[in-house]
Amino acid sequence: MVGAPSSFVPMVDSAISVRQLTRVYSSRKGFLFSEVTRTEALRGVDLEIAPGELFGLLGPNGAGKTTLAKVLSTLLIPTSGSARVLGLDVVRDAQRLRPRIGLVLGGERGLYYRVSGRENLRYFADLYGIPRGEREGRISDMLERVGLGAAGDQRVEEYSRGMKQKLHLARGLLHQPELLFLDEPTIGLDPKSARETRKFVRALLAEGVTIFLTTHYMFEAEELCQRIAVISKGKIVASDTVAGLRHLVGGDRTFEIDGYGFEDAELARVKALPGVSRLVTEEFGPRLRITLRVRSPELELDRVAKALPGHPELEVRERRTALEDIYLDLVEEEPN
Amino acid sequence: MGKVEPSRPRAFLASVRLSLLLFLADPQWVIPATIAPVIFGFAAFELYRGSGATLVLYAILGAGMMSMWGQTLYGAGWATGQDRELGTLEPTLSTPTSYLWVVFGRIVVNAVTGLVGGLVVFAVVSFAYPHPLPLRAPLEFVLLFAFVLVTLASVGLVLSAVYVYTRYAGFINNFGEFGFYIITGSMFPVVLLPFWTSPIALLLPPTWALDALRYAALPGYTGFSWGFTVDLLGALGTMLVYLAAAGSVYHRVEQHVLTVGNLQEY
Repeated sequence: MVGAPSSFVPMVDSAISVRQLTRVYSSRKGFLFSEVTRTEALRGVDLEIAPGELFGLLGPNGAGKTTLAKVLSTLLIPTSGSARVLGLDVVRDAQRLRPRIGLVLGGERGLYYRVSGRENLRYFADLYGIPRGEREGRISDMLERVGLGAAGDQRVEEYSRGMKQKLHLARGLLHQPELLFLDEPTIGLDPKSARETRKFVRALLAEGVTIFLTTHYMFEAEELCQRIAVISKGKIVASDTVAGLRHLVGGDRTFEIDGYGFEDAELARVKALPGVSRLVTEEFGPRLRITLRVRSPELELDRVAKALPGHPELEVRERRTALEDIYLDLVEEEPN
Repeated sequence: MGKVEPSRPRAFLASVRLSLLLFLADPQWVIPATIAPVIFGFAAFELYRGSGATLVLYAILGAGMMSMWGQTLYGAGWATGQDRELGTLEPTLSTPTSYLWVVFGRIVVNAVTGLVGGLVVFAVVSFAYPHPLPLRAPLEFVLLFAFVLVTLASVGLVLSAVYVYTRYAGFINNFGEFGFYIITGSMFPVVLLPFWTSPIALLLPPTWALDALRYAALPGYTGFSWGFTVDLLGALGTMLVYLAAAGSVYHRVEQHVLTVGNLQEY
């Protein structure tokens, strides 16, 4: 079933409201005796995003981030469930919704290379119906704003990767959308361009634009997003503020213990220490790293060291739980 | 936030403008648009130069069509295939404008460039042939020449949807290319083809329009027995069916690709 069921009443104040959304891709292999493969890209996604919010969606490759962004921006029809964006159903009201949202799919593709950046924007300005009298002014302003003022009349084939990404951004914003979908906007950018893009995103947020951001980069999500959802194998496994997610995975303190030849009993003893909520081990050649998530403020590093007698080589340190830790905990916990 | 209101004429004109810019920016188009027609024209001229002016005219009409029809019929489809390859199909379909109007703009540009190709053939052969070509009704000929392109464009509009539908549209294009050329009577009159081809030919507006064009061009031409007026009405009628069907075809194709999710494939 596609579209909003009659029993579903979305939150009036939501910019995005998603209920039990699924999306299945079917692909056919072979010619005479073809085999159809079904891939569940989204499996019952529920989501609520407030107006003016910068919401981040994190997930590994193939987790369903881009699929969700495309469904919400009317480029894919969901297999079942419902999704409303700015109060409009993404399937039934797609035509009415499109002028109000912007979509920035990053990467090298998606632009007409043989004409200038300005011509690309002119074309899309006309497809969006931007008033003729405003078109040229808006294009020049937008080119300036994204830092392409001097390169606007160059052919896109002469642009660097970063410049193309800026042009994608300009196109997505030209019609002044209320809600912007940014699909991995800094992927492949050099650090300077990526920083400029993040600065630009913050400025948009200050102007009241609701932003739905998908990204691979933890620091980017942590730096920009007010709330973050982690998607894994087509399901949202957690959705909260970074602080909320820290609490969810077991505390904002992380201990790392490096050593050799730990016995299972020793690991069990450490896990049983008061305040330890999670223990993960990683091998680095002969060396083993134990990572602990710690809820209690009372647990001290030396108490952990004391729980592992007979290991004079131990290196024990504490750090704040990073979003990357949270992400890995959530993604690795998700069963197949 | 500023309100935007999409408009079909603006989308159409934007597509015309971008198609022209892309056409001029890509010099490879010079070959199908101007050089190929001249080669076809000369080949036809050399084959028929000793057979009298009427046959020369007949032959160059065929050569002119050969240069025009492909450009008009498949140019827009090819451009849509380019949209897939460049990845511009997704951002275009995410706008509030129906893709039909984008294709319509491209068709018009391709029809005009096709017309230029046909006129190049006519000009070259007229210059090379020492005797005046016996056009029966020059004004009607020019008008019908353009009309043939419009009928080709109406079929091209519907066929271009295949390029939105699937990335394998080039296969269909290559398969149908010469079949379409022959069956519509571009080179030989339809009456010379096997009888079973006639019902298929009559479903295609260019078949009727080409027959009408030959009436206007060739002295003593007798194509279909029903004559010029019925040809003209047949062309108009079938063309209107194609134009009317285009809206529905594009709506269905857009729904299909959004369901299948193959817009990014190329």
